[in-house]
Amino acid sequence: MKWCRIKAFIVSGIKTTFREKSAVFWIFIWPIILTLMVAYVFIPPSAGQPVTLELGVVNNDHSGSPFNGTIFIDVLKEIEYNGTKLFNVKIYDNETKLVDDLRKGRLDAGIVIPNGFGENITYAQAKLVVYVSGNSIYSIQINRAIMSEFLHSFSINVGLKKIEMTMKYMNMSYVPANMTTQTPWGNKSLIEFLEEYFKGLVLPVNSTIIEETPEALSNRPSIVGWYVLGALGMMMLYSGFLVGAAAVVEEKERGSLERILSTPASEIDMLIGKTVSGLIVLTLSSIAIIVTGVFAAGARITWNPFEITDWLVPLNLILIGLMTIGMGFILSLLSKTSSGATSMATILGLFLAFTAGIWFPREWMPGPMRLLADIFPVTWALDTIRNIVIYNIGFSEAIASTIRNIIVTIIIFAVGIIAYKKVVRKYIEQ
Amino acid sequence: MHPIYFGKRSKKKIQLHDYIRSKSIPMSVILISTFNHYNRIFLYLIDSVWFSIVKVGSALEELLVVDSVWKRFGDKVVLKDVSLVVHSGEVVGLLGPNGAGKTTLLRIISGVLKPDQGTVSIKGFNPIDSRARKLIGFCPQEPGLIPDLTGFENMLFYARLQGLDGKSVVNRIKELSGIVSLTDDIDRLVRKYSGGMKKKLGLAITLIHDPEILILDEPTTGMDPGVRREVWRIIEEERKRGKGILIATHYMEEADALSDRVYIIDQGRIIASGSPEELKSKYGPTAVITIEFYRQPRDLGDVLRKTGLKYIVDGDIVRIHSSDPDRDVPRIVALIHGAGGTIRSLKVVKPTLEDVFLRLTGRRIE
Repeated sequence: MKWCRIKAFIVSGIKTTFREKSAVFWIFIWPIILTLMVAYVFIPPSAGQPVTLELGVVNNDHSGSPFNGTIFIDVLKEIEYNGTKLFNVKIYDNETKLVDDLRKGRLDAGIVIPNGFGENITYAQAKLVVYVSGNSIYSIQINRAIMSEFLHSFSINVGLKKIEMTMKYMNMSYVPANMTTQTPWGNKSLIEFLEEYFKGLVLPVNSTIIEETPEALSNRPSIVGWYVLGALGMMMLYSGFLVGAAAVVEEKERGSLERILSTPASEIDMLIGKTVSGLIVLTLSSIAIIVTGVFAAGARITWNPFEITDWLVPLNLILIGLMTIGMGFILSLLSKTSSGATSMATILGLFLAFTAGIWFPREWMPGPMRLLADIFPVTWALDTIRNIVIYNIGFSEAIASTIRNIIVTIIIFAVGIIAYKKVVRKYIEQ
Repeated sequence: MHPIYFGKRSKKKIQLHDYIRSKSIPMSVILISTFNHYNRIFLYLIDSVWFSIVKVGSALEELLVVDSVWKRFGDKVVLKDVSLVVHSGEVVGLLGPNGAGKTTLLRIISGVLKPDQGTVSIKGFNPIDSRARKLIGFCPQEPGLIPDLTGFENMLFYARLQGLDGKSVVNRIKELSGIVSLTDDIDRLVRKYSGGMKKKLGLAITLIHDPEILILDEPTTGMDPGVRREVWRIIEEERKRGKGILIATHYMEEADALSDRVYIIDQGRIIASGSPEELKSKYGPTAVITIEFYRQPRDLGDVLRKTGLKYIVDGDIVRIHSSDPDRDVPRIVALIHGAGGTIRSLKVVKPTLEDVFLRLTGRRIE
């Protein structure tokens, strides 16, 4: 083994990669496009912010009640969630126009306030007709959920207000203040008991909902960071597969394999040279993806060179590269042409990226796919990286998973070398 | 002229005139020998002098020895007991049809394949030994170039595989690109090269580390005549520099023009060896009658079979082997005319290596 010979493969590998337009697209352009798409299409800058619905309202209630349709519209206009207005209200003359705009996708929802709404809400049970629109199953679910949640909260608050008013009248005229009653909590004032009882009618379960997402995924930059690493993992999958799968067959197609093997360079020199050149290209591509992710897509990926745990990130990236290249060598047993190797690497890489927890969180995936994600070693190494840079796990946890990844990489690469040698022999003897 | 041999080893006979050529003997000596009435005696004298003065000190070196090599791929025996020798300063032709086992033999010699039986020695080293690989320059049938690299980068790539790097390699690349007439194109991507340019670059790569033995597999296949002659010139120059050169070819004229000795291989077996002249005189017919037609006879095959002689149909030309042209020519002409054919030209010429192959195998080299 001589450095000069390995250098020959490294230099030629890098140069040919950068001169091959399709390789440049798949290794550099596509992951960057994917990163930007994630950042600006799937997780737009507005992601994580409360949604404002375009709401159309037809007000047929012109009663003189203390609370009527006009006041209800004011409520709709003013209501906020986390500092953002919940509705952008547009008034319509009649229901037909409102439904027409809903069908044209100009509105997310619509409310028709019937005549007598004010009287009914004060003295009886008010009714509302609510329309929900959506361009997709997701948006219709969101719109329905927001409208339901708002109307539910509004209804409860009105109910509680009505109880408050009722209790004032009861206190003044109907129930003597000193009257008590036996309750499960002991002897209590009848007024107090009735108030609690009425509240229970309006709101039998007063639950408190607390949102608790992982700190790392609680904001858009962290979510984008998660997906940037997914794009990186995806690129490494198909690029690494390709480097390994095409290593021998492309030399065979060029007719250079026997010429190379007639020189003092050995099969192992070629294997090392091609692996290192592949790793260099993958590293450059990874840097391009991360730089794009951080500076163009606003991803939050923390890496501190003074933190020893963070140095396990590049190590795990190298392990992913070696694993995928090793798997590519195994795939080369099946590929008979370099175009076949390219197709196989791309298809298998994309398939595994979407099914093995590289691109989508495994929690999102159905059972069988989750199993694939659980046993796929590349996902283990990528999860180690995510755990370090997104969830900020400690050194002991990170090193334990890294050691496991190293062992798996050695096994995969060793099997890959055996496959590679077999393929070389096969082509030479053809 | 009958070949004149020196050396006592039966397998390593070298024709003296080839030896003189390879050792650059002064022209005056050759002229004397040519014009001397007793030139054969004179050459024998030179032979003796060489042996007593020069050869004792610097014998023709056996660069490559292939000894009883067998190779099988599955059930198919590709090489059967193949032996050959290449000395310094000689061109050895390996002549045979496609599928005869030439490429397999060259792959074994260059260390790419291992023989099942037998040995290959390159100056005493096994071809798998990296010391042996430094001594050989192998040019496979496909030039083995990387299309997305320039000519210069391809040469640098293979130079590095030979363990060479740095300024001296750059100078060597410049020198070789001049030798193969690629100076103006050396910085272009190889994917833009013509087939001939690729072949020449492949040959230059073979020479990059200045090997002692050149193993060339069909070096001029697919080349136009101009480029072919250029490659022959390069091979000739390398021979003059004392290199041992083994060329596998199925071109008769190439083997005839370049080779000091020829091994004829067919179906994995060496069936004859010797200098081209020796092979022709030993295995070839006395004469070859070549006929070109204005109008071919109605059934040419039938006419030729009726002659009772061996023949080759090469496009519009028919070559018929004859041991007695004076007897055979009138008979052949009568048969052709009788079958409605008219002859454009008829010549009686000396046999070629193709005629030798035909005599040995009953087939043409395709």
